[in-house]
Amino acid sequence: MRRLLVHSSLRHLGRHPWLTALSLLGIALGVAVVVSIDLASGSALRAFERSTDAVAGRATHQLVGGTSGLSEDVYRDLRLRPGAPVSAPVVEGYVQAAVGDLRTLTVLGVDPFAEGPFRDYARGEAVGDVGQLLTRPGTVLLSERAARALGVSAGGELPVRVEGRQVVLRVAALLAPADEDTARALEALVLTDISTAQEVLGKEGRLTRVDLRLPGGEAEAKRLEATLPQGVELLRAAARAGTVEQMTRAFRTNLTALSLLALVVGMFLIYNTMTFSVVQRRGMLGRLRAVGITRGELFALVLGEALVLGVIGTVAGVLLGILLGRGLVGLVTQTLNDLYFVVSVRRLALEPLTLAKGLTLGLGATLLAALVPAWEAARSAPVTTLRRSTLEEGSRSRAPRLALLGLGVLGLGVVLLAWSTQALLPAYAGLFAVLLGAALLVPWLTERLSSLATGPLGGAFGLLGRMAARGVRTSLSRTAVALAALMVAVATTVGVGLMVSSFRGTVVSWLETSLQADVFISPPSLVARRGDATLAPGLAERLRATPGVAGSSTIRVVKARANDIPTDLLVVDFSRTGARPYRFKEGDAATVWRELDASPDTLIVSEPFGFHRNVGVGDTVRLATDEGPHDFRIVGVYFDYGSDVGTMLMPRATYERWYDDRGVSGVALYAAPGQDVDALVTAARERVGDTQALMVRPNRSLRQASLDVFDRTFTITQVLRLLAIGVAFVGVLSALMSLQMERARELAVMRATGLTPGQLWGLVSLQTGLLGLLAGLFSLPLGVGLAYILVHVINRRSFGWTLRLVVTPETLVQAMLLALVASALAGLYPAWRMARANPALALREE
Amino acid sequence: MSHGRGLVIGVATALGALAVAAWFVTRETQAPVSQRGGALTVASALGGGGDGGTEGFARAFTPRDFVFPEDHGPHPAFRTEWWYWTGNLETADGRAFGYQFTLFRNALAPEAAPRESAWGTRDVYLGHFTVTDVSAGRFHVAERFSRASLGLAGANTRPFRVWLEGWGAQSTGEAMWPVRLHAETDEASLELTLEPGKPPVLEGDRGLSQKSAEPGNASYYYSMTRMPSRGTVQVEGKRYAVTGESWMDREWSTSALGPNQVGWDWFSLQLSDGSELMFYQLRDRNGASDPFSSGTWVPPASAADSAPVHLSRDDVALAVSKTWKSPRGGEYPARWNLRVAKLGLELTVTPKVADQELPVSVRYWEGSVDLEGSREGRPVAGRGYVELTGYADLAAHARTGTTTRGMPEAK
Repeated sequence: MRRLLVHSSLRHLGRHPWLTALSLLGIALGVAVVVSIDLASGSALRAFERSTDAVAGRATHQLVGGTSGLSEDVYRDLRLRPGAPVSAPVVEGYVQAAVGDLRTLTVLGVDPFAEGPFRDYARGEAVGDVGQLLTRPGTVLLSERAARALGVSAGGELPVRVEGRQVVLRVAALLAPADEDTARALEALVLTDISTAQEVLGKEGRLTRVDLRLPGGEAEAKRLEATLPQGVELLRAAARAGTVEQMTRAFRTNLTALSLLALVVGMFLIYNTMTFSVVQRRGMLGRLRAVGITRGELFALVLGEALVLGVIGTVAGVLLGILLGRGLVGLVTQTLNDLYFVVSVRRLALEPLTLAKGLTLGLGATLLAALVPAWEAARSAPVTTLRRSTLEEGSRSRAPRLALLGLGVLGLGVVLLAWSTQALLPAYAGLFAVLLGAALLVPWLTERLSSLATGPLGGAFGLLGRMAARGVRTSLSRTAVALAALMVAVATTVGVGLMVSSFRGTVVSWLETSLQADVFISPPSLVARRGDATLAPGLAERLRATPGVAGSSTIRVVKARANDIPTDLLVVDFSRTGARPYRFKEGDAATVWRELDASPDTLIVSEPFGFHRNVGVGDTVRLATDEGPHDFRIVGVYFDYGSDVGTMLMPRATYERWYDDRGVSGVALYAAPGQDVDALVTAARERVGDTQALMVRPNRSLRQASLDVFDRTFTITQVLRLLAIGVAFVGVLSALMSLQMERARELAVMRATGLTPGQLWGLVSLQTGLLGLLAGLFSLPLGVGLAYILVHVINRRSFGWTLRLVVTPETLVQAMLLALVASALAGLYPAWRMARANPALALREE
Repeated sequence: MSHGRGLVIGVATALGALAVAAWFVTRETQAPVSQRGGALTVASALGGGGDGGTEGFARAFTPRDFVFPEDHGPHPAFRTEWWYWTGNLETADGRAFGYQFTLFRNALAPEAAPRESAWGTRDVYLGHFTVTDVSAGRFHVAERFSRASLGLAGANTRPFRVWLEGWGAQSTGEAMWPVRLHAETDEASLELTLEPGKPPVLEGDRGLSQKSAEPGNASYYYSMTRMPSRGTVQVEGKRYAVTGESWMDREWSTSALGPNQVGWDWFSLQLSDGSELMFYQLRDRNGASDPFSSGTWVPPASAADSAPVHLSRDDVALAVSKTWKSPRGGEYPARWNLRVAKLGLELTVTPKVADQELPVSVRYWEGSVDLEGSREGRPVAGRGYVELTGYADLAAHARTGTTTRGMPEAK
């Protein structure tokens, strides 16, 4: 008996190959999007961790200093003291290769004599003359793989760019790492002696950190800490590792949530397919019930079918996800590089956990979506199962109840969203509740609206018009699902689209106010949104003295540790300009600037900083300065959309009071009245000369460059949006197609009673067009609602930004077009088939 | 059913294609296979730039005038040099300790390149420190390295100081002597004040110690053979006040060993009659004694003629009467009968503790020994230090050449 059931199932799926294939595609796409995003962002993170691990080695603790690292004397004194702990000095920085694939390379400067206890890769086998590391300036080691990718060999030259300078390194030897992990970590690493690292990176006299091994644990750490000079801090090595994970958490969570939206749309697809297959076979199922098949067995039958589809679709989805992920990893990496840190990802890290997660999600979603149809199949009595009309009557009578339920779910979603918490999970739960609630409203709304449409459509197209409208109503069990799927999909694209355009609008107006100077000069930086490179000494002064300059300011961007978390600190010298291009969220501008100038214990923080640390005006931030930890009072919170983790700002005078660093990362020049800006740019370029390759940009081009970076960081979001559209499209296609195919007999009857193929075509097109129109209409309010949630709840909770929601008509028109085009396309094939089919054949019972 | 078949075939094809594509984009580029040698190890870093040639360095071709105290300080024109202290100490109640404290200077290049970074240097220091706790039968070893920059390591002539991070030796006052030694590890530490005792003894030909046939393959070499020492030894958390006698070897050179010399047995023996004997036997690949083996006998201070007596290979008969297998591999001589006919000297030399092997970057044996025997018919006892190299790992020394006293000049 069971074999018979299985056989009938398979036969059924086989008889509708296109629908089966479409639902497989739907599942596969949904799973693929989730898996690919997970893989891509996971790989980027792994790559970063690996390089951090390789660089951190087996240190248990680290000594770190202020913004410019710590003096090498600290290390010397540590080594010379009795009972010195096991230690190793490290100078670390980034350069960009000027050959090969121009990859970004981490320069790791170490002392070979102190390295042994810390880093293993260095113990492997090297080919070439390692001894030159100490005696010949500019000598480095590369891994064999990196050397191959860069096209250099042992004894060859490796030109690199550092903050606009070109430096030629000599590759003394190639390292052949012992294992794959080390090999990957070394792919973007230049290993060199500490002397060369200091010279290449311009960090003479300074160390990035001192690695320590303190087997005595915290007790030993405490003892050591007590003896450290001012401005030197002892950190646990483990504390460092978590910061990257934390820094990018919001970014990754949002990507994952967006990818889940695609899966939700995919779920509607499964639901649709399974409902369809149940409805199709209502006669068969009724007969099965009549011959003694139990409800449980029918339930299992439908779920079993779903499982088969789910397994195939999910496996395909995971594979497709790997393919997509390979493509997306570049985009994700680019975004991470623009926003957070320097990482170069060479390949996908296939984590079994990610793949398992994808499989579970896919299967879970399929089974969940099949529950209702399975329950419906099992529920009906033997006789009623035979009648389609019973089902539709049930659907219609259930519609108001579903709508009420939908309202309830919507209400729940709103409550969840309004819940004042910083947690992202309730926000996303609320978002999905809103989607679900809206979907539950669809049947009732469809019924009402299609009733309303009967009149006008009848007026315009006569009988066919009325039939089309009524058809939507009479097959509510099917049309509602298709509509809901289409609505959710289109609404997602509307919501994400509006969110991005609102964000962009806010950034554009922020750039208007914050970029007031006429010419900006800075060295090229490896993280686009963090210009922390340094101008050659003396260059800033020379530039500020360019004739035709009425005023100027300089900026220094450094990483400072605020309450032990590395954070960007902007140091601005406002002494030669009256311009203060900052707008304040908290604090009155005049008071803020007065207080900043008056007290060397004050600073201002950006909106995301205040949000993440939960601080505001009047609170204090503890910075690790070169004079030791010091508390600074926050006197203002400024708007800033440059960094989602937040920044701090202090005047140059305050910085120089607390830090030894005297570097300058950028100069802004204000043209004198009547001074031609282009001429000023040329003059500034001439002043720079060959000292350093600097970017000298007029206001307009910097603004454009900033927007380009912004757009680049949202590319991945746009791609996700497109993928969601793809899934939605497949969903609509399969929903509407199955709807029309299922009406084959009905249409055949019409053909038999005299409807011409052209009229049939018109009928089908009208009906799918009506569905598309309805879906478009439904999706607009939902889409705007989604955008509101994304902008005011999700974005705020993730990054703390205040954005202005702008509803752009283009996005809405786009959405309508999408819905209509998808439905029009979906109507084509069934109409064509029905018009061609021999009515007599179609009329034959199955 | 034909549709069904089409579907199955289609799905299977799609899955297959996806699988192949997924495999293709994630396939690993094979990690390169490499069995070549020498990485960022201390040994390779010590190898220095260039070919390890002698160009640019001073050489030891002819005897020179030694000037003290200046010659206690560094000789940077030569590639390598060492300050080598060994000694036997005991507490008031007779608990015996031996120690070895060695600082090597090794130049990686004849000239230091001009650098912006203070880390740039051409000199690297290497230190070995051992304490033999005779009654406990324990041997404590430590090794250190550092570049000679930033004040991490270095040597001064006036005031005399040579140091490697926290380890070092320096004059305690304005005068050269006394010199204080200090070294410590987690397990053991040594704090010792050395008086000069007997005047410096020039080894070899007026201080020129020829090591192989090629001219220039020689070192300048002097010893302080019996230095009264007093201080403290700390082992396993306990501090002991000790007194005893130390031996200091100072040697500098640019090249020494010939290609066939694989190791040596080095004896520095302090006899109870007030005399001292230094003898080294260079060994060739076949284990035979090399003709350039040589030694010096220093008569007691009270002797009528206190001039040191040079000993050639043929003056000294050395026979191994026992061996010891190292748990780390290799087999060492563990007792010798040493006879110098022209001095009427017969000695049995026995290690105080069998395992005094240093498992450091280049493994060798250097330990405290007891002496027993007679000179000119009168019984003598004594103690000393013996160094044995080239026994540990025949494969290893075939690759890297010889070790320790010559370690920095390996290659």
